[in-house]
Amino acid sequence: MQGPWVEKYRPQTLDEVVGQDHIIPRLKRYVEEGNMPNLMFTGPAGVGKTTTALALAKEMLGEYWRQNFLELNASDARGIDTVRNDIKNFSRLKSVGAPFRIIFLDEVDNMTKDAQHALRREMEMYTKTSSFILSCNYSSKIIDPIQSRCAIFRFTPIKGSQIIKRLKIIAEAENVTATAGALESIVYFAEGDMRRAVNILQASSTIDNQITEESVHEVISKAKPQDVRKIINSALDGKFMEARDLLREVMVVQGTSGEDMITQIYREVSKMAMEGLLDQETYIDLIENIGKFDYRIREGSNPRIQLEALLTKFLLKGKES
Amino acid sequence: MLWTEKYNPKNFDEVLGNAKAKDEIEDWINAWILGEHPKPLLLVGPPGTGKTTLAHLAAQEFADSIELNASDKRSYDILLRTIGEASATGSLFNQGLKLIILDEVDGIHGTDDRGGVRAISKIIKEGHHPLIMMANDPYSKRIKSLKTKCQVINIKKVHTNSIVALLKRICIKEGVDFEEHVLRTLAKQSKGDLRSAINDLEIMARGKKSITSADLEMISKKDDIHNIFDSVRTVLKSKNPQRIRDAMRVEADPAFILELITENVPREYEKKDEIEEAYEMISQADTYLGRAFQTRNYGYWKYTYDLMSLGVALSKDETYRKFTRYANSSVYTLLSKSRAKRDLRDRVADKIGEKTHSSRRVVREQFPCLEMMFQDNDLARELADYFNLDDAEVKLFRSRKIPKRKKAKPKKSSQKDTGNKVEKKESSAVVKREGKKEKEVKPQKSPKKTKSTTKKSKPSQNKDVKNLAKEKEASNEKNSTKKKPSNPEDKEKQVSLFSFK
Repeated sequence: MQGPWVEKYRPQTLDEVVGQDHIIPRLKRYVEEGNMPNLMFTGPAGVGKTTTALALAKEMLGEYWRQNFLELNASDARGIDTVRNDIKNFSRLKSVGAPFRIIFLDEVDNMTKDAQHALRREMEMYTKTSSFILSCNYSSKIIDPIQSRCAIFRFTPIKGSQIIKRLKIIAEAENVTATAGALESIVYFAEGDMRRAVNILQASSTIDNQITEESVHEVISKAKPQDVRKIINSALDGKFMEARDLLREVMVVQGTSGEDMITQIYREVSKMAMEGLLDQETYIDLIENIGKFDYRIREGSNPRIQLEALLTKFLLKGKES
Repeated sequence: MLWTEKYNPKNFDEVLGNAKAKDEIEDWINAWILGEHPKPLLLVGPPGTGKTTLAHLAAQEFADSIELNASDKRSYDILLRTIGEASATGSLFNQGLKLIILDEVDGIHGTDDRGGVRAISKIIKEGHHPLIMMANDPYSKRIKSLKTKCQVINIKKVHTNSIVALLKRICIKEGVDFEEHVLRTLAKQSKGDLRSAINDLEIMARGKKSITSADLEMISKKDDIHNIFDSVRTVLKSKNPQRIRDAMRVEADPAFILELITENVPREYEKKDEIEEAYEMISQADTYLGRAFQTRNYGYWKYTYDLMSLGVALSKDETYRKFTRYANSSVYTLLSKSRAKRDLRDRVADKIGEKTHSSRRVVREQFPCLEMMFQDNDLARELADYFNLDDAEVKLFRSRKIPKRKKAKPKKSSQKDTGNKVEKKESSAVVKREGKKEKEVKPQKSPKKTKSTTKKSKPSQNKDVKNLAKEKEASNEKNSTKKKPSNPEDKEKQVSLFSFK
């Protein structure tokens, strides 16, 4: 039982990690030296931060890595106190069967500044017994004292050719075939995110063992947030309340994230411009606004309120009434 | 010594106003002294009107007194122990009556005070000792049962004129020159709360020779807490900065106020550009709110308040002369309606996240793909096992149950659930599909099997993962060999990905 392909084909060694060629050699040097500073992995989703951390821990800690490795998810609904207690209980004991212990904290940028300061103290307290690997999407959201205590590694989106190579390996092992067009489509939609690419591949394979561009498109169209075009059109038609209600339904009830929504809005607007439904000036004006609200969302605002505000920009662009 | 203590009445005559209440209390005290056992007293009235003062004055007439107030924990046991002892010791001598004072009985609640009201009722029933209770809110549910057992005395607000007179007396005694209108303003602002009037006067006048109207500015008006919908109405209806700023003095979380203003902007404003401009203000207000939360620098809140009140108010060209029914945010109704759904989603995301080293957020983004994978019976079974999902949790991804593996107990599942019509239909559909699938898949079956066995025997790189999985999932190992048929029929059954309805 090996779970979904993303798990089954997760690289197990540093050598297997795809696409982070500027990072892996440096990490391997740590392994050779048998020592490492605190590390921070930053980069977008699905580029191998967690995979690299797991692989590094295995190679660094050897046979008993499980016992000496603590994985914590900072972003989930757990308070800093839980995190601190876990770290404390873990770091108090000396490592057994390994040179030291490793604590891996995921999505540190979603921790509040207070929690980050608390974390910083934990990092100082256990330097002798433990090393930290922190991972985040945006290093700018990490307080300076933590950044200065870590060696920072910037992970980049994985190149299309590298994703294709990996997908081919998986397809072969799973005895499915995929046309070149299918792989290209997956890569286009994945935007450098290996996890997304592998998931689309597997989802497509449930439609047909022979993966074609069509089956990939079917998956992609189902995987993207629904009703976005409808929301946009309602706003353009001047029916703001209708648009807002639908947006709230999609985000609150169906749980679509703000970042997914805004990406989809961007895509739909681009498509509408290409279809000639929006003139150039309106188009660029909307893009300017989409970018503005995207930025505010990433700044930590309430995504739903920001997207509602974005809808009013569509409202203004609609047919005069 | 604080002036409120210094000028506290030393006897009933000095107490301002409430003449009738004073008489009733004095009668009550006399009854006790004469050996009667009248009902306990319940003094009800707004803060600062002299309830505690009256009780303390009453205490002087008894041999001893004990007092409990809101800051003491008042659970059943504690009340009975403290007061019970008092009752027992006091009853030896008739003249040794001990007065029990329970302040703020309407504040008895929560876990700390569990059973507090019950304990009071018990003490009343025994009735050995004089008991005076005080409460602010005459309509409090908590004291409803007490009211029937007590003699209720309403303590009224002190008249402004009486307050002015008292403030004058204090000024004279303290040697402070005053302008009459200043004292009058003070008295008015206090709204019948004598204690706050004296406190304000002390702040203005202590250690000074005189007070003028300039000193009044030091005293903030007693914060009138607005009803939140009144505030929303003011923001949307008014363009008067002073009134709007006042309206923001509500006791509510700024995120909540923002949500309510946001909800009602398009209900009040009719022009597109007004809505757009108001939303721009809302967006910025929200950005500062997020920033305040992230940096824990709540200084940013002031911008939030100004932008969402004044900013939104000034976004309209003219004020609308119409009646608008304001609504609570639909987000809250949506949230409560979808609660079960969201809980399920979180639970599933947690389980999957544990296996795939990801947070809820990351897992949720993969839900659409997972939903498609779950349409395939064999893969669904494998994934459900791997993630340890129960039937209810699997339902998040597929509408029908996963049929049991054919080899083990063929068709058992389809015979089992013949409960209602829908299920029957469904299961027969499953049988049909399975039949078809069998046909289509057969030629592929054998190479697949050999493939999976070769993979197993290979000293694979996945060994670690496998071991890992084994460690945790040793019990679930049964489903290791599996065919993975293509199943075009299943497409029809796929539900729209984001509808978890």
